[in-house]
Amino acid sequence: MTQLVVENLRLEYPAARGGKPYLALSEANLAVESGEFVTIVGPSGCGKSTLLMLIASLLRATNGTVKLNGKEVAAPGPDRALVFQDFALLPWRTVLKNVEIGLELQRVPVARRRDIARKYIEMVGLSAFEMHYPHQLSGGMRQRVGIARALSVDPEVLLMDEPFGALDAQIRQVMGLELLHIWERDRKTILFVTHDIDEAIYLADRIVVMSASPGRVIREIKVELPRPRGLAIRTSPEFNIYRETLWNLLEEQVRASGSWAAAKATGDR
Amino acid sequence: MAINASKSLGDRLSEAPNARTWIGGVSVVLFLAAWQVIGANEIVRSDLISYPGEIAAAAYDLASSGELGANALTTLREFAQGFAPAILAGILLGLGFALSRLARSLFEPLFVAMYTAPLIAFVPLLVVWFGVGSTSKAVTTFLAAVVPIAINTTTGVRETQESWVRALRAFGATRGQIIVKAILPGAMPIIMAGLRLAIGRAIVGVIAAEMYVSTSGVGRMIQTYSTAGRAAEIFVLVGEVSGFGFMCVWLLRRLENRLAPWRARA
Repeated sequence: MTQLVVENLRLEYPAARGGKPYLALSEANLAVESGEFVTIVGPSGCGKSTLLMLIASLLRATNGTVKLNGKEVAAPGPDRALVFQDFALLPWRTVLKNVEIGLELQRVPVARRRDIARKYIEMVGLSAFEMHYPHQLSGGMRQRVGIARALSVDPEVLLMDEPFGALDAQIRQVMGLELLHIWERDRKTILFVTHDIDEAIYLADRIVVMSASPGRVIREIKVELPRPRGLAIRTSPEFNIYRETLWNLLEEQVRASGSWAAAKATGDR
Repeated sequence: MAINASKSLGDRLSEAPNARTWIGGVSVVLFLAAWQVIGANEIVRSDLISYPGEIAAAAYDLASSGELGANALTTLREFAQGFAPAILAGILLGLGFALSRLARSLFEPLFVAMYTAPLIAFVPLLVVWFGVGSTSKAVTTFLAAVVPIAINTTTGVRETQESWVRALRAFGATRGQIIVKAILPGAMPIIMAGLRLAIGRAIVGVIAAEMYVSTSGVGRMIQTYSTAGRAAEIFVLVGEVSGFGFMCVWLLRRLENRLAPWRARA
């Protein structure tokens, strides 16, 4: 069943004094099936995070619509939960209280939200840390809190904005693996933005490739690798074919947008 | 680099874990002993500088006669009547300044002017407006405290991290929820620092107002005993006031550790 539909979504920032209007995203179209894992990949400045923020209604589109289960969405809500690159945890709250926040905002009674929060904290493997504060945790652990917080409100769609972008390479791989485990268990629809090509292939049912200036969707690639996937799949010949296809697509983008963007797109942050 | 070799004995002593408190204690004892010797033996006139023994006796007399307790209670009440509303008003005003450009451009210059102006110079006017009773003292306390609280609240709110607000907004939080659950707790450490500043200013305010004109209170006592040239009693009273301030700041720090434990290492 098609769950999320993005139609002709466009975001244009008005011209600054003396400048030209800036087109951040140009006519994006996208349909996501229920339970599908979609990754969005593209060079810096291609509007992939912008697209996610528009779907979350944290930004207002100039044109176009976002429909969830056939209904147009206009305001942010727990039906589309976000996981942020910078984690965006509240430093004065413990892990438990951070995970509870979404339910707290919906005025779910304390005892009930505590039970729900504990369930998701356990799912991300942080039960021993529920009374810790974010500053006492590593980056990987903080993002697990971010994931548990997003899942706690039982969203229709999980929107992940370069969630592992701030983590180092090894932790990043482990987190990807764990995310797949979680997803295979409850099959939430996931939209996952990344600039890491391997990550985009490894996680996805489908990859949406975007290009910069103006930001637009240029290609969708179905990933037909068997599931469940382990880290070893990255060295398989099939994986390599996807990798090369993506590289070729992105290389054109990178060349077109100049050497500065090239460095941003290929290098790790 | 041969850091260790170049250290003096003094450096090494003051780095030892308990040495610093120990050295501090010794210096206080030495100071008190010297003061006692100089004062009690009239090396410097004792009616000017008094000495620890005399001060202790004066403290006992003031406390046992009930004079100190009754006046301290008056001052404490005036302080509380001014300070408590100042916390509420300061935080609300600070929030208003931070969240509304109009409020900021209208009132912030006035507040900064109030912050730098010598409030004590206004006390005569406040007495004219509010009378010689405790109201004028409470108002002085309020005005002294409200400004640093409001200014710090504004700073704290404006330094709130965008990510905290964004996280809550994504869950569909209302504006009120964002203020209560992200902005205020995020600003709390800076608000607390404002409260600490405010306590100092408010204590000076209430004592100065009482010294100017009043019928009771610790400031009134300081005024009386200084007219009579009684150094020992003045030392007792000043010590009491600064002890009260010290206690307030200590309580506030404990409260801060509860309200903002994350700040300790953030």
